[in-house]
Amino acid sequence: MIKKKNIEFVRVTHLRGPNIWTYRPVIEAWVDIGELEDYPSNTLPGLYERLVAWLPGMIEHRCGVGERGGFFERLREGTWSAHILEHVVLELQNLAGMRTGFGQTRSTSQRGVYKMAFRTREEQVGRAALAAARALLMAAINDEVYDLEAALAPLRELVDARCLGPSTANIVDAATERRIPSLRLNDGNLVQLGHGAAQRRIWTAETDRTSAIAEGIASDKDLTKFLLKSCGVPVPEGSLVRSAEAAWEEAQDIGVPVVVKPYDGNHGRGVSLNLMTESDVKAAYELAARQGDSSAVIVESFITGDEHRLLVVGNKLVAAAKGESLWVDGDGVSSILQLVNTQINTDPRRGEGEDFPLGTVKPHESGEIVLELQRQGMTADSVPQAGQKVLIQPNGNVAIDVTDEVHPSVAHAVLLAARVVGLDIAGIDLVAKDITRPLEEQRGAIIEVNASPGLLAHIKPGVGKPRAVGAAIVEHLFDAEETGRIPLIGVTGTRGASLIVRMLCKLLNLSGLHTGAVCGEGMFLDQRRVVSGNCVNWDAGQRLLLNRTVQTALFESNPRMILAEGLAYDRCQIGIVTDTGSLDDVKDFDVLDEAGLYKAVRSQVDVVLPTGVAVLNAAEPLVLEMAALCDGSVTLYAQDGELPGIAAHLVEGKRAAFVRGNHIVLAEGGIETVLLCLDLLKPATAGNVDSVLAAVAAAWSLNLSTDLICAGLRTFDAAPGSIGN
Amino acid sequence: MEVSRVRALRGPNLWSHDTAVEAIVSCTTQELDIAQLPGFEARLRNIFPHLSPLQPLGNYKAAPMAQVLELVALGLQAQAGCPVTFSRTTPTLETGIFQVVVEYSEEAVGRLALELAQQLCLAALEDRAFDVSGALLQLQELDEDVRLGPSTGAIVNAALARNIPFRRLTEGSLVTFGWGSKQRKIQAAEMDGTSAIAEAIAQDKELTKKLLDSAGVPVPQGRVVLDADDAWAAACEIGLPVVVKPKDGNQGKGVTVNVTTREQLTAGFIAAQEFRDDILVERYLPGHDFRLLVIGNKMVAAARRDPPQVVGDGRHTVRELVDQVNLDPRRGSGHATSLTKIRFDDIALASLAKQGFVAESVPPVGQRVILRNNANLSTGGSATDVTIDVHPEVAARAVAAAHMVGLDICGVDVVADSVLKPLEEQNGGIVEVNAAPGLRMHLAPSFGRPRPVGEAIIAAMFAEGDDGRIPVVAVTGTNGKTTTVRLIAHLLTASGLRTGMTNTDGVYIEGRQIDSGDCSGPRSARNVLLHPDVDAAVFETARGGMLREGLAFDRCQVAVVTNIGAGDHLGLNYITTVEDLAVLKRVIVQNVADSGVAVLNATDPAVVRMAKNCSGSVTFFAADKSHPVMATHRAQGNRVVYVEDGKLVAAQGAQRHEVALSQVPITRNGAIGFQVENAMASVAAAWAVGLEWDAIRAGLKSFANENDNAPGRFNVFDYKGATLIADYGHNPDAILALVQAVESMPAKRRSVVISGAGDRRDEDIRQQTEILGAAFDDVLLYQDQCQRGRADGEVVALLRQGLDGARRTSHIDEINGEFVAIDTALARLGEGDLCLILIDQVEEALAHIAKRVAEA
Repeated sequence: MIKKKNIEFVRVTHLRGPNIWTYRPVIEAWVDIGELEDYPSNTLPGLYERLVAWLPGMIEHRCGVGERGGFFERLREGTWSAHILEHVVLELQNLAGMRTGFGQTRSTSQRGVYKMAFRTREEQVGRAALAAARALLMAAINDEVYDLEAALAPLRELVDARCLGPSTANIVDAATERRIPSLRLNDGNLVQLGHGAAQRRIWTAETDRTSAIAEGIASDKDLTKFLLKSCGVPVPEGSLVRSAEAAWEEAQDIGVPVVVKPYDGNHGRGVSLNLMTESDVKAAYELAARQGDSSAVIVESFITGDEHRLLVVGNKLVAAAKGESLWVDGDGVSSILQLVNTQINTDPRRGEGEDFPLGTVKPHESGEIVLELQRQGMTADSVPQAGQKVLIQPNGNVAIDVTDEVHPSVAHAVLLAARVVGLDIAGIDLVAKDITRPLEEQRGAIIEVNASPGLLAHIKPGVGKPRAVGAAIVEHLFDAEETGRIPLIGVTGTRGASLIVRMLCKLLNLSGLHTGAVCGEGMFLDQRRVVSGNCVNWDAGQRLLLNRTVQTALFESNPRMILAEGLAYDRCQIGIVTDTGSLDDVKDFDVLDEAGLYKAVRSQVDVVLPTGVAVLNAAEPLVLEMAALCDGSVTLYAQDGELPGIAAHLVEGKRAAFVRGNHIVLAEGGIETVLLCLDLLKPATAGNVDSVLAAVAAAWSLNLSTDLICAGLRTFDAAPGSIGN
Repeated sequence: MEVSRVRALRGPNLWSHDTAVEAIVSCTTQELDIAQLPGFEARLRNIFPHLSPLQPLGNYKAAPMAQVLELVALGLQAQAGCPVTFSRTTPTLETGIFQVVVEYSEEAVGRLALELAQQLCLAALEDRAFDVSGALLQLQELDEDVRLGPSTGAIVNAALARNIPFRRLTEGSLVTFGWGSKQRKIQAAEMDGTSAIAEAIAQDKELTKKLLDSAGVPVPQGRVVLDADDAWAAACEIGLPVVVKPKDGNQGKGVTVNVTTREQLTAGFIAAQEFRDDILVERYLPGHDFRLLVIGNKMVAAARRDPPQVVGDGRHTVRELVDQVNLDPRRGSGHATSLTKIRFDDIALASLAKQGFVAESVPPVGQRVILRNNANLSTGGSATDVTIDVHPEVAARAVAAAHMVGLDICGVDVVADSVLKPLEEQNGGIVEVNAAPGLRMHLAPSFGRPRPVGEAIIAAMFAEGDDGRIPVVAVTGTNGKTTTVRLIAHLLTASGLRTGMTNTDGVYIEGRQIDSGDCSGPRSARNVLLHPDVDAAVFETARGGMLREGLAFDRCQVAVVTNIGAGDHLGLNYITTVEDLAVLKRVIVQNVADSGVAVLNATDPAVVRMAKNCSGSVTFFAADKSHPVMATHRAQGNRVVYVEDGKLVAAQGAQRHEVALSQVPITRNGAIGFQVENAMASVAAAWAVGLEWDAIRAGLKSFANENDNAPGRFNVFDYKGATLIADYGHNPDAILALVQAVESMPAKRRSVVISGAGDRRDEDIRQQTEILGAAFDDVLLYQDQCQRGRADGEVVALLRQGLDGARRTSHIDEINGEFVAIDTALARLGEGDLCLILIDQVEEALAHIAKRVAEA
């Protein structure tokens, strides 16, 4: 076979909101497979075998077949390259550490050109995976050598660098589980949960209620200890010293063994435990002083027992983990370094990177281990005798879940410690021989309070039950009945959508809510136009959702925007559809018939919440048809109340707005309310009866009072650019 | 002169309401009247001319050296700028020994002043030189170092003006306001609610800009650029002029403003790269720099900030002009003044170069010469208050910016021609938001009115009328303190308040013991006030702590004095007489809040006299409502608590609340007189706190007197049909009360086991057995574990003396060891007998008795 076949990307778009494919962001690639159109997979020798060998994990891809191995079945029977590409890119994303599942491939009006969409959690990763997938697929088609690991390495790096860290992801996933929306605010782990005024922010394990002063206190170990001690929380005795001599003096004062650690350090750097002799204490002082930012070093009594990490979230103890000391057994031949590598680092839980619950132990690099060994008269290269036990790290990584075993009085002390420091989320380090007994009985003590604690030890403990810490944090931020949502109103269409947005913006603002709106005429915050010019785009909509003041928000969209970017919000309270627009607007998206338009516009109805309302133009047959798609209820509108669609709707006891005589009428089943006479509206407004009806129907659905709706409409000026005082 | 035992009285004390150092000063005979020391006063005044007169005009009493020390120590602090006025010298009973007390505003400064004063006196005495200006400088520097900075100081003063108590938690600016569960903290211009995430966002200028833009706040548009070419492309997109700067830079490093040409831009890009890799190009906003301070949802102050500058006069060089400006006395060198000297350094020279000048250039008349591109006060800039000029729309944008970032205290940097009109109308914008903003430019602007920003911060933390205080009940007296403290705490708890309590057994929070041992001093009380879970506090306030350190609180809501009686521990620490003791115990009454209440025993004349020292109101209690003090007080419409018809009655005018004594188990139906007194005092205190009467009744009913509740306080046991009472009573009043209580209990034969504490006066020890001798048939004297400074057998001998000619006692034993004595007494008991055991090692002895009772 001639090796000139290739796959070209005609266009790659990141659809950041709900779109024609799915609710979630996807990358849509227009893939031109060229002459491969003539070569489905079953005609390309060895392709199936190579793909199965290279990406065996694809056995899990159910594909359209609906069962495990489904995709491989299709691959064997014959499928086209664009579709294979979809599965390869999903699998590469998974292998790189970004788990996704959704993908779809559709042919277009052009032969050999497909629209392929796949779910991605991060645009850069998705684009890189797409490029890598094409390279892999071409190598598989052409029977070339392909180094999968070499291709995955940069993808993994990208996932590490660009995706949310595992702790943050755990919280975001828990929010998603509760259907609380989330938005990333930066390239790091700063995430907004919820929208507008209902939002909360998290930054890894900090919340927007985490006090800066409390963090300052927590990082000042001496002050923390003083406060805890004052409030009766058991802490080790000790004090601050500024020289090696003073360290030894203090050690003698409080009695050995002692712990020596930097005054302002963190993450256990420069900490030495269980020191008995003058030379050990002095050496430990030097290490601690080097690691900290100053010569100030804490010497305190060494509390014997295991180190525990207890996680407090919002005055609840949500997880506890115990550390284990690390030892190696000498064999008389191997060096300590070798013993560590064969006895400790072989543990599958150990490795580099945040995904491993336990870190790799490096006896020649870690200062504490070097010192620990030195105290035993050894180095990493020493060869212990056969049968000799060598302590590598006392209380190393914290990893054994003991949440259910914590004695209530220990829990009380730990919660009090967090309250005293003032942290809403805190990781409390505690040393105790037995966590099931009160601290006082065993001379246990709290040795540190940490702000922004790592969650991984609880999410993925080395031993024991994983704890739902993300869910606990979300519960801390949002009461059970809170959704993080504000009422969002989406208006899709090409006829009068901006006017509807502006009318509703005014009505909602009159009702006392801080209202944001984006439409073809700009961005509005309450009565103020902040941006003039077309704001029918995803970015403008996103700005409203970020705004902590906004209590309700309005968004205009149209078929073109939905196809090009996706909607700006994941779900909405009210979805208004006026019309499906014209094919001329969307020709370049390969939408060639009304069905295509319908598919784009229906997204607006699809995202209406179960508690929400779709407000649909009954005079447009395609729009009326969308009523069946709505998870919530439906309110229809049309000037002509006699339309069969409206009549049928009313018969079912549902709502509609229409004009009778010269009056706007709100009807629910057989009950009708005459709202107001069109003559009372300003002329520019009265000329847009359809838009007025849509706005009225939406306002009604939002439970605005009819008096307020009438007053708002009568003073509204439809002249462009003004909210219409 | 010798100075010994220097103490810092950190709260209201025997001498004054303010903090003070106290020293014991011994003077030689000549030093008792300095007039007898030839030339001394003249030399003294020569060294320290500011010293105040030693005596009021026309008074020629002898002035001892101790008094000189006192006045010098006070004078030195005053001259160093400390706001202190109080000092006092008091002779003790020992000739030549004085107690000298000198107020301080900072403890370290007060201690140093005392030391320096001593050196100064010595120098004057020995006719040596003394560097008084050096001493004052030392004090000033120390004071500046340890006292609160101006921003924090302003907030603290605002709190004090609202009667909110405060406490410094560190040597820095971390301060806690209020007590217990009502505490709030600040650290400089951060509140405890200030979000760490918001602070991090404010640090990230790009993210801040994105968020402000979303909030409809005008910001300079711009973006990060990759290289010089991209910078130019960005400049063209944004529109000239632009600024080029490092993305996360600070203090204006690497920033080039007002760039209009490609050449300038390239140069600026390279300059910015010196500091950071990420370079930003954004729209240049011309205009003045303004700082708007937002607290909560309000803009509370605004200042225009001008860079250090001089104006040419056509005659002087730039350097001379700067020197002239720096002559302004308002320009200091630190952070304390409203202006700082303009620095003439490399940055200033570079700034001059940009304007085409060198240091020796003579700028023409009226030419403004900028010395640095930065308006910070600390580098010579000036701040002009413009608060009232700010257009409401501008203020609204500043508030929106703070809200969007999430800061409750926020310094918003605005660049605009003027704040008189909306930013949108003049191409102005918000360029930065700052967490923990400096307040100096608003508290002490270089020009214009100071703004009450400290008050605004306090108002953001404490609602109007909230002074951050929790009910604090201080209890003192000779006997009954511990039970009264426990009972009051129990009543507070019964009414739903999370209660902290200190007494001689420990510190308790919500019933949980967090410290043990004698915790009746101020340190333990301070710990309770610091505890986040405490809604109300009851402190046993013993004399030791009051003498050592003063009180732990500035004011209390309720002060209870159970009794003074014949006193206890007399002779220690210059408290020699019952009157001295009353003056000391009165301290808590003197420090009752104006809205508070002193609960006083109407039958104890020393206690009754305290009433006139109370600035709040007084509730008297006594079993007998017709006692003249009670009757008068009641007739005047004040509160009284008494006993009538087997009921405890709290009455004020027509108002009357009753509790049947049968419903107060510790009184044993009212039979135990001293428990009735404790109950009356406690009820009065609970009434003063404003507890509901139902809660008070429920609390009285559920307060049992088992060991758990008050170990060593009238614990009653049944032993083989005999009644056993264990108590810690150790002074004549306590023993008298016990005897009265025990006499109301029927018994065949009565025995008592007693040891004396060696640290009492001889007569006090003797008096105990004098009382017992009239009421008990058998007395078992034992030697206490710790003799407290007495020789072996000395105390027992004194006890025996007390029994000489005893009316009832027929049998006396001397036994070595507390447990042996207890066992001996128990062995003799028959059915229907009664034995009072005055225990010494409370816990051990009670455990021993409990064991014996269990075995029986």
